[in-house]
Amino acid sequence: MIIGWLRVTRPIPGRSTPNTLVPLVFMNPQDTFEYDPQILARISSLKLQAMGLVEGILTGHHRSHHKGSSVEFAEYKDYTPGDEIRHIDWKVVGKTDKYHVKQFEQTTNLKCTILFDASGSMGYVSSHDRGLSKIDYARTLVAALSFLLLKQFDAVGLTLFNDKVVSHIPPRSKPSHFQHLLHGLASVEPGGVTRIQDVIGGLVERLPGRSMLILVSDLLTREKTLEHTLRLLRSRELEVILFQVLHPDEVSLPFAGDIVFESLEDDPSVGLDPLDVREEYRGEIQRQIAHYRIICESLGINYVFLETSTPLEQGLSYFLLKRKSQVKQ
Amino acid sequence: MSLQFLSPIYLLGLLAAGIPVLIHLLTRRQQKHIRFSAVYLLSQSRQRSIRRSTPNRLLLLLLRCLAILCFSLALAHPIFSFTGPQSLLPESPSATVFILDDSFSMSAATKTGGSLFHSAAEKFGTLAKSIRKETSYAVVSGSAEARVWKGWADSGESVGKLISGSVASFQTTSMGRAIAEAVHLLDETSQPEKRIVIFTDLQKNGWTQGDLPEFSSGDSYKIQIVDFSALQAQPNRAAIESVSVDQEFLTNTRIVRVRAETRNLSKTQPLAQLAVSLWTHDKKLSEGMIDLPSQTLVARDFSFPQPGGEPVEGYVEIQEDGLMPDNRRYFTFQPDQTIKVLVVDGDPKTVEHQSESFYVERALNPFSVALSNIEPTVSTLNELPQRTIMDYSVVILCNVRELPLGFEIELERYVLHGGALLVALGDQVDPKYYNEKLGSLLPVTLETILTVPPDQDAFHFALEESGHRALNVFTGQPLLEMRDIQFHSIYDVKPREDAASSIPMRFSNGSPALVESDLGKGKILLFTSSLDRDWNNFPIQPTFLPWLQRWVKYSAHSLESLSHQDLLVSQPLKRWQEGLPGTTLFVQMPGGKIVRPPQSTDEILFRDTTHPGVYRVYQMAKEENPGAQEPVETVVPALPEGTELAGTFTVNVDTGESDPEKIPLAEIQKLLGNLDVELIPVDELDKSTAPQEGFPFTTPLLLLVSGFLFWEGFLVRRE
Repeated sequence: MIIGWLRVTRPIPGRSTPNTLVPLVFMNPQDTFEYDPQILARISSLKLQAMGLVEGILTGHHRSHHKGSSVEFAEYKDYTPGDEIRHIDWKVVGKTDKYHVKQFEQTTNLKCTILFDASGSMGYVSSHDRGLSKIDYARTLVAALSFLLLKQFDAVGLTLFNDKVVSHIPPRSKPSHFQHLLHGLASVEPGGVTRIQDVIGGLVERLPGRSMLILVSDLLTREKTLEHTLRLLRSRELEVILFQVLHPDEVSLPFAGDIVFESLEDDPSVGLDPLDVREEYRGEIQRQIAHYRIICESLGINYVFLETSTPLEQGLSYFLLKRKSQVKQ
Repeated sequence: MSLQFLSPIYLLGLLAAGIPVLIHLLTRRQQKHIRFSAVYLLSQSRQRSIRRSTPNRLLLLLLRCLAILCFSLALAHPIFSFTGPQSLLPESPSATVFILDDSFSMSAATKTGGSLFHSAAEKFGTLAKSIRKETSYAVVSGSAEARVWKGWADSGESVGKLISGSVASFQTTSMGRAIAEAVHLLDETSQPEKRIVIFTDLQKNGWTQGDLPEFSSGDSYKIQIVDFSALQAQPNRAAIESVSVDQEFLTNTRIVRVRAETRNLSKTQPLAQLAVSLWTHDKKLSEGMIDLPSQTLVARDFSFPQPGGEPVEGYVEIQEDGLMPDNRRYFTFQPDQTIKVLVVDGDPKTVEHQSESFYVERALNPFSVALSNIEPTVSTLNELPQRTIMDYSVVILCNVRELPLGFEIELERYVLHGGALLVALGDQVDPKYYNEKLGSLLPVTLETILTVPPDQDAFHFALEESGHRALNVFTGQPLLEMRDIQFHSIYDVKPREDAASSIPMRFSNGSPALVESDLGKGKILLFTSSLDRDWNNFPIQPTFLPWLQRWVKYSAHSLESLSHQDLLVSQPLKRWQEGLPGTTLFVQMPGGKIVRPPQSTDEILFRDTTHPGVYRVYQMAKEENPGAQEPVETVVPALPEGTELAGTFTVNVDTGESDPEKIPLAEIQKLLGNLDVELIPVDELDKSTAPQEGFPFTTPLLLLVSGFLFWEGFLVRRE
């Protein structure tokens, strides 16, 4: 179902010309899925650079560990039996009478799997929301990342989960795959309990090695073993990016009056005056955010904290710039 | 033990303790339900913070309420005392009769704004709370009514409330009757100690020997008199003793004159420029100033035109002094209504003064102009069929031989509907016609004409001073003059067996001179002589004019007998007309309350004259079912249809109660013989229970307030 149009200012390979309207489909009709073309236009000028060499099938912008025939010359080496004869540089043979073989740096495609938290807590909607709700904010974020990755011919997959994997779209790099991803995003219905450890524990064996894993979640879970889970991912040499998305209400607890808080997951309801617990709550949530930040830094994971009130482009730009600087180093 | 408050008005501030609770309830927010993501974090946070937040709110509310309560109590100056106001109450079991003087002298204003009676009632209410269970007591009114307010009781609370809700009456003091009633009550009990406690202002009026019971040497009643007169803000300086009203008919304007007599009650202080005002129908008509030397009665006349002849109601008032009820005196005046009289001349002559009606017409309207309230119209028998007799109040037949054919039936209907018929005889009268055709009208039959020979003494009126309202003005010289009137011829009459009649006047030979009877609503008078000079010389006598006018007015129910009943409070209204046959009466009291007096033959018509003011009497045709009449006085919500004003009468206070002089203890002791009498000024009574003797609680309460506020501030700051 077409519910809107996306204007792109950069060409999508094999699909469209600049300044073309791309139809937005698969969105839940009840949601206000705001797909701001300007955000995507700004972000598309920045390239997502992988930190290390990743293996890929398709040629792309990411450097590969494998040296072979490619468009970019690397170095010469002495010919040894077994080398491809077509790689012998005959000009050098004519000048020096020695056989040298050209070596090229081979660029490959990145495989990226986006883990999208579709648990009940992601469905929090504030009564005074004027911008994006939490789930829409996360959808937009994932859509933007997917679009960027696909634009640079990387393969992108999407896994929705709560206490188990709800749906899984394997990584593909075809431009038309974007529609599949959008479909997957539009079909997200928040529900269930967050079980990150169980889900990643089951997925980690199936993830391609040296690929990228983007985890988008509010990380509002009683689980205490997230550090162990992230360590496991890093041991598989996966590049992990962790986006923690929270609504400002979840950070500041701005409510007033006698309120019964009903859980979006499976916690029992709590009736209280927020005034009584506000300071305590704020301290707790800040402690949790700081805890995740420290863990991620210690494991070499990019941790990005986003409030839904933060402009999405600002968060992504900051992240990509940071990534770029890390790649250069 | 007792707790008293010097400024109890501030106890109203206790109500303010509800304000924090009200605010708490009003600002209590409605519980909202929010679906939230991080509920587990909220649970953790609550577990850490719940201990210090929730109880604080209730504690704060409690502290604020307590602070307000204590502050209000502190403002009221509470005094705690171990000795209660029990000096009037014996320690041992006893029977006590309290006499509360509720006469109108007790309505004098006090310095604190209430009345003496109010102070006495308050004091009694305080005492009543302290009455011991083994003490039986009763309460008797000290006014003329001397009613038992409360019979023997042993619970003071309800009686205290009953008394405190009462007000002073408008009656006079009758301490003798009250003491007699108290003694009567005490004699019923077997308690060893018998006491009488009197709350009074010691007003001298009402302490009379005649009303007091005979005390024997064995009587051992202890009498304590609490004197409240010291509380009176100012003395009673003056009182209006009487108001009289009359009307001048001999002027074109019909001036009503009101004379108010005011007495200076002070023995020493003259009153200068005392304002006296006249009010009619709640409108001030006139005001004047009078100077009153001490102990003198000064009259002040007011006059105002009342050309319409409408009834006048009003009062004369002097400016305020220590006692209000005697500053106003009500009056009512019913000007005589114009009475249209049809004079039927049975013997008209061409020479005017020889006509039968000549003297009658002159007597009824002596000035021949419309100044008198009686308007006679002379008609001959031939003109009679053209007259509508229903337009007239009185019809006078003067020496009529016989009426036109069928006119006697019309005349009978006229009398049945309230008309008055005065029949005067003469030489033209045909007794046969009268006896046969007018049998239903006349209660007597005409027999023979008694004529005195010229050489013998004529007939005279055999008159004594009469209570008859038509004749009661003829006393003294007028009465003597009437006795000298000479009648040469009179008709001898014989009463009919089936007719009731009365004979207010007789001749010297015993024959009736005037026969009076009622028929329906009307009245019939038969004069057995002539109203011209043919049979007597009465028409040229000075008494003829008032005699004829009064009988005309009387027969037309127009005599001012009702409004002349200027009653004092509690005096009953007496019947002013014999029977008022065929009517039901209603009395509208000053407050608007309407009562129907009981239908009885008792001379007393109405007794509930407890309040001064103008009372109105209405009458209506008697109800069809006489059984529906209540034998007792009944209150009706509104006047029934068809009622008409029959008259008014006034009720005023007895100014004997106005005398500011107090009776000394010695005189009381003399009146009460050898009884043990103790006089306690109310000041001393208060001193004995003076709250200043107790422990003042103001400072501790203020300290408590400070403590509560400090605690409250601490909690707020901590929160």
